[in-house]
Amino acid sequence: MHKETQKKEFTGASKYVLDDELARIVNISMALEMPLLLKGEPGTGKTMLAHAIAEASGMKLIVLNVKSSMKLIDALYQYDTLTRLNDSRFGDSKRDVSNIEEYIRMGKIGQSFVSDQRVVLLIDEIDKADTDFQDDMLDVLDQMEFDIIEIDKTIKTKYRPVIIITSNAKKDLSDPFLGRCNFHHIAFPEPDMMRKIVQVHFSDIDKELLDSAIRTFYRLREIRGIEKKPATRELINWLRALRADPDFRVKDLIKGEVPFLGVLFKKSPDYVVAQNAVARFRV
Amino acid sequence: MFVDFFYLLKKAGIPVSPTSFLTLQKALSMGLINSLDDFYTSARTILVKSEKYFDLYDQVFAHQFEGAEFKGSEEIELSEIARALLDEWLKDPKELAEALGVKEEDLLKLSPEELLKYFLDRLKEQTEAHHGGNKWIGTGGTSPVGHSGYHPGGMRIGGVSRNKSAVKVAMDRRYRDYSQEGPMTASQMGEALKRLRNMVPFGPKDRVNIDKSIYETMRNAGEIEIVFDRSLKDRLKVILAIDNGGWSMDPYIELVQTLFNYARAQFKDLKTFFFHNTIYDYLWEDPPRHSKPFPVDELVRLDPETRFIVVGDASMAPYELMATDGSIHIEERSGRPSYERLKFIAKTFPHAVWINPKLAEEWPYTRSIHQIREILPMFELTLDGLEKAVGSMMRKN
Repeated sequence: MHKETQKKEFTGASKYVLDDELARIVNISMALEMPLLLKGEPGTGKTMLAHAIAEASGMKLIVLNVKSSMKLIDALYQYDTLTRLNDSRFGDSKRDVSNIEEYIRMGKIGQSFVSDQRVVLLIDEIDKADTDFQDDMLDVLDQMEFDIIEIDKTIKTKYRPVIIITSNAKKDLSDPFLGRCNFHHIAFPEPDMMRKIVQVHFSDIDKELLDSAIRTFYRLREIRGIEKKPATRELINWLRALRADPDFRVKDLIKGEVPFLGVLFKKSPDYVVAQNAVARFRV
Repeated sequence: MFVDFFYLLKKAGIPVSPTSFLTLQKALSMGLINSLDDFYTSARTILVKSEKYFDLYDQVFAHQFEGAEFKGSEEIELSEIARALLDEWLKDPKELAEALGVKEEDLLKLSPEELLKYFLDRLKEQTEAHHGGNKWIGTGGTSPVGHSGYHPGGMRIGGVSRNKSAVKVAMDRRYRDYSQEGPMTASQMGEALKRLRNMVPFGPKDRVNIDKSIYETMRNAGEIEIVFDRSLKDRLKVILAIDNGGWSMDPYIELVQTLFNYARAQFKDLKTFFFHNTIYDYLWEDPPRHSKPFPVDELVRLDPETRFIVVGDASMAPYELMATDGSIHIEERSGRPSYERLKFIAKTFPHAVWINPKLAEEWPYTRSIHQIREILPMFELTLDGLEKAVGSMMRKN
């Protein structure tokens, strides 16, 4: 793309196949220094994208796995009162008990702020947390700084991290939060794209196996009444299973047999539905 | 630059904000956007914040930069609804053939697009309601499509339609999730509902109880003894049952949407059910009241501490409430009147209320409201009413 305007350009990584559109979006978000919010079906590679960016640009990746009970302060820093109390009581550590700063531990967001080089910060599955979490984060993202109340110190970013936020869209995120992010929805890959993705993972894969596996996979995805459709992750694992099985022949797939259905369908009602549908393939 | 485009997006109903427009300008001035393709993706990633609007964005973009015709949102909506209906019917081609009044063989010759067009034409052709006729879509007729007809395979397209065209009936709100944005009074509602909380200790013991720690440390003669507690969490369980059928609820849709949006954002443990007019044997988990029934008998398995909130206008014919087979939906035949069902719910959940979007001064004129008020305390859907409802739900604690 435009080499003169961007120093670091993201074009993909060894285990990640990138389409042009997403590449453009990642690059523009990096240039604008805005967080990029990714939504999409599970297994479309939202989390993988952050790993790929880190790998491609040689930056360190810091992952914040959001949990439902998490408060923003946990992600910023922690004041370890207990260790300090303990130290003051027994006095056998090298830490200076009167210096509170020695008992401040940085959380994941904090780490990405104080890092000496630009890092990639992945905030994974932000929708799991309360809406309070997002609301509290607005200021931090906006100003790229936060206060440590205990020592009255403001932590500013040395280098604005590349922030990737993923959401599985269980809940809608709040409007002010969305306003501060760039947004992209990763659609499920088309068969051609999927072929490339599989080839990245299995460089030596047999063409016949690849074709019939992908055809079967998309056929399975079309079965009606499935709650959790198999995604890229399931396909990769399934291929791994097929290749590991010495008794497996590609012809079986063409005939309409689908071994290891359990790798693809992980909910028992889905499994039953899929099994019935597969039985009909054979006719 | 591109101010027209920005306003066109806004007009099309995409919530675009000036701030994001400025960000786009920044990207332009930084020289990040050098082609129409670049502009397409960048403008979308910066301006559009939900995949719900991607389709609309595409249309506006094509209109602005490639001169494509931009259809009004109403037309889009109509065709989407028609498609949804058709999808449903396509599962049973015979029924569809009957519904459209064509032979099944003829039907099979049509492609889905042609079929959709045919159906839309039929809908548009009809500009008035037909009741008692034998041709198109209406009520009480012999046509298989419509409501209250005596055709055995008859199916219901809309609500109890009076003076409304079939086009409008087909756009019955049940195909629209309540999750879309309502008017901006959610924060006011929040204020009213804030008191609806139930703080209980929950989760791991990870909070230092300072008072107790000091006390225990003193008792221990200075040897540090730290006491942990569980932190207090709001663990209130709420069931929201919404009347989303029938025209009588239509004027209140925006109001109910706001309540629903607020509840969804606020209560961690919220179940939403839908019903039409009143509750019989089943509540529905999906807004179209079609695919996910929930038997009312199962409610006993839920925590009786749950706050059960019914939202509905409680206005219906008395027999719908009192008769054994009162439901206007022919497939809902229970043998037990809704009156008994509501009593059962009131008994199962001591903290149940009925919230009525109708103003209280209109209540005395509707018989069914009287009867329901005998079972459940009723409050109007105003800030005042909500506060009283919250008071009533918390009082019995």
